[in-house]
Amino acid sequence: MKKMLLWTIVMALVIAVCAAGAVTAADAPGVSDTEIRIGQWAALTGPAAAWGAVARGAEAYFKMINDEGGIHGRMIKHLVFDDQYNPARTVAGIKELVEGPGVFAFVAGDCTACALAARDYLVEKKIIWMALGNAWSIKPDRHFFFIYPNYLDEAAILVKYAVETMGKKKIAFFYQNDDYGKGGLKGAQQQLEKYKLKLAAEVPVEPQDRDLKSHTMAIKNADPDVVILWVNPTSAVIMRKTAAAMKFAPLWMAPSTLADPALMNQITGGLWEGTIFSCLAELPDADIPLMKKYRAAFEKYVPKGERWGIMYMAGFGFAEPLVEALKKVGRDVTTDKVIAELDKMTDFKGIFGHITFRPEDRQGQKEVFIAEALKDGKSKRLSDWIKADR
Amino acid sequence: MDMKRSHYEDIRLFSSRVVFAWFLVFAGVLVSYPFAASWLGKNYYIYMANYMAINVIVAVGLNLLVGYAGQISLGHAGFFGIGAYGTVLLMTKLQVPFVLALPLAGLAAAGFGFLLGLPALRLEGPYLAVATLGFGLTVTQIIGRWDLFGGRQGLHAPPLALGPVTLAGDFNLYWLIVPTAVVMTMAARNITKTKVGRAFVAIRDSDVAAHTMGVNLTYYKTLAFAVSAFYTGVAGGLYAFALGFIEPQTFNLMLSILFLSMVVVGGLGSIFGSVVGAMLLSLLNLKLASVHTLPFLGPVLLQLSESWFTVSGLPNFQYIVYGLIMFLIIVFEPLGIFGFWIRTKIYWKSYPF
Repeated sequence: MKKMLLWTIVMALVIAVCAAGAVTAADAPGVSDTEIRIGQWAALTGPAAAWGAVARGAEAYFKMINDEGGIHGRMIKHLVFDDQYNPARTVAGIKELVEGPGVFAFVAGDCTACALAARDYLVEKKIIWMALGNAWSIKPDRHFFFIYPNYLDEAAILVKYAVETMGKKKIAFFYQNDDYGKGGLKGAQQQLEKYKLKLAAEVPVEPQDRDLKSHTMAIKNADPDVVILWVNPTSAVIMRKTAAAMKFAPLWMAPSTLADPALMNQITGGLWEGTIFSCLAELPDADIPLMKKYRAAFEKYVPKGERWGIMYMAGFGFAEPLVEALKKVGRDVTTDKVIAELDKMTDFKGIFGHITFRPEDRQGQKEVFIAEALKDGKSKRLSDWIKADR
Repeated sequence: MDMKRSHYEDIRLFSSRVVFAWFLVFAGVLVSYPFAASWLGKNYYIYMANYMAINVIVAVGLNLLVGYAGQISLGHAGFFGIGAYGTVLLMTKLQVPFVLALPLAGLAAAGFGFLLGLPALRLEGPYLAVATLGFGLTVTQIIGRWDLFGGRQGLHAPPLALGPVTLAGDFNLYWLIVPTAVVMTMAARNITKTKVGRAFVAIRDSDVAAHTMGVNLTYYKTLAFAVSAFYTGVAGGLYAFALGFIEPQTFNLMLSILFLSMVVVGGLGSIFGSVVGAMLLSLLNLKLASVHTLPFLGPVLLQLSESWFTVSGLPNFQYIVYGLIMFLIIVFEPLGIFGFWIRTKIYWKSYPF
């Protein structure tokens, strides 16, 4: 009997302790007196490990903010986990963070499938998510903010620049056969309709295809002045090498997904020179105060041997609007207040283009600028920020 | 000590009352687990249990093929994908209710399993591995290029209606996934004790001898593939709902290898081993990503990774642990966790001698 009593007491104590833990965790979703917890999933290892640089960029940015004194007395705690581009792991990791330490918001987060698998849970838990772009066809929600311009706008701006500024008429479009490629194709077609023009050639490619001779021939036969490459870096490289072998040298254009001239120059073996491409963010070596500050933060917080480029900058850029909103909200941080503050954001200029959010329009950035790839992976800015008007 | 004196003793489900009592305890834990987890506010643990249970179904099915029938497969992610896509498409395009769609998708996977079983009649060892590998890769390619399957953009799982109730959330899914896993595991155990299971084992040990004794090789080899594919297909169908979203790249080669390693780590030719192996590797797969949050060990490892590893840092640790486990098991315990369990049991039964 005594034993039974003892056991009952022990059990009651255990239960009480667990319950206490559960209550404190649920009390403040990711915000305490001293810290704000911001989560991120990223492929730090595995086949898409290159994307991990985005997470390390965000990490460096938050360290910089913390060393400047944090946000109204709170430090940012950046909780990154490695999902290896595997949605099952993404969902598990998000649940673990949200139900464990608690997370106030998520920033960036790569991998289409991972993001789509994570969506419903983020909605259910009412967690702010500063997402890449809605090109992923993610169903919008009150808590989601998309930063990148969509592909339709970007393709329209490229075409606009080619026709209006460079005076080109015959444009061929080489695109990846999925939503990414088709989005770009549609934007280009819509913009050309305004000039009563049509694409000289539309050639799709599967991302796994490695022999692009027939694709290149199809484009070459249309004899275009400009070829827009709306593909992944691998296909772009193969296309450029095949074209060079065929002595086919039009003016090449590329979207921001290929806007890493240093990398492209290296993997094409110098063929990338002269390519006109659109940029979502200031050039990595731009001579502006903000970029200098970020480069300094990069030197300070990121281990040696890494390269300051688009990926790292994206990590800084995705976190900027959230930090800006948190600064404006002040000491009393709640999800609703931060959403209201983000929805007031008008022409916020960080490392990306101008970002504006409205409750009915969560597509933040709608502009890009045009640059040209120079020798040795350098690049030169050709235009100011251009807005789409398709 | 584990000597069986009669046929009945061999085929009965619980070899003694003690085993039955343990089974009851286990069932009790399974039933109370989600309540405890949701009471603590940790849905995450229920999700993890669901993920484990799905992998248990695959591992049990794969072990029937690899461990019992002795046929290797590196293409099970393909069956997994067929099951997942089959269930979702049957429900969204043909409005088939879930209760029918899941077994139908399982049967579709079994059909492909049968087809893959045909080359297995002529191939063995590494040749069979390559043939099945090709199958697994082909499935993702076909699914990825076909608009019906949502192409590379993937598909969302529809709401899961079981008669009048709609199951949503990890807690509700648990009551679908875990009982399915338990029932299928017991069914697999029964298969191994019937004529079919004995035929599988005979083929594994020597297909020539089995043929001489009158085992129809064509029938049983293709059957082994079909049964295994059925298990994997059903698991795939459940996975689509546990995740809520599927796309072709989820069903890649790494997944096939993960499945195979579950079976190898757990123990070839053992149902118990498949269950434990699947649970262990699923757990590692999910938890190693957050190894840095462990008390004491976490900071030490973080320090270690900062001084010695590449810039991606600690996440590399999971590969080391993974590799180490596989390596140690193959060198020291070829029978896997099951072998370890047997030796422990024998040791304690004869203790202190």
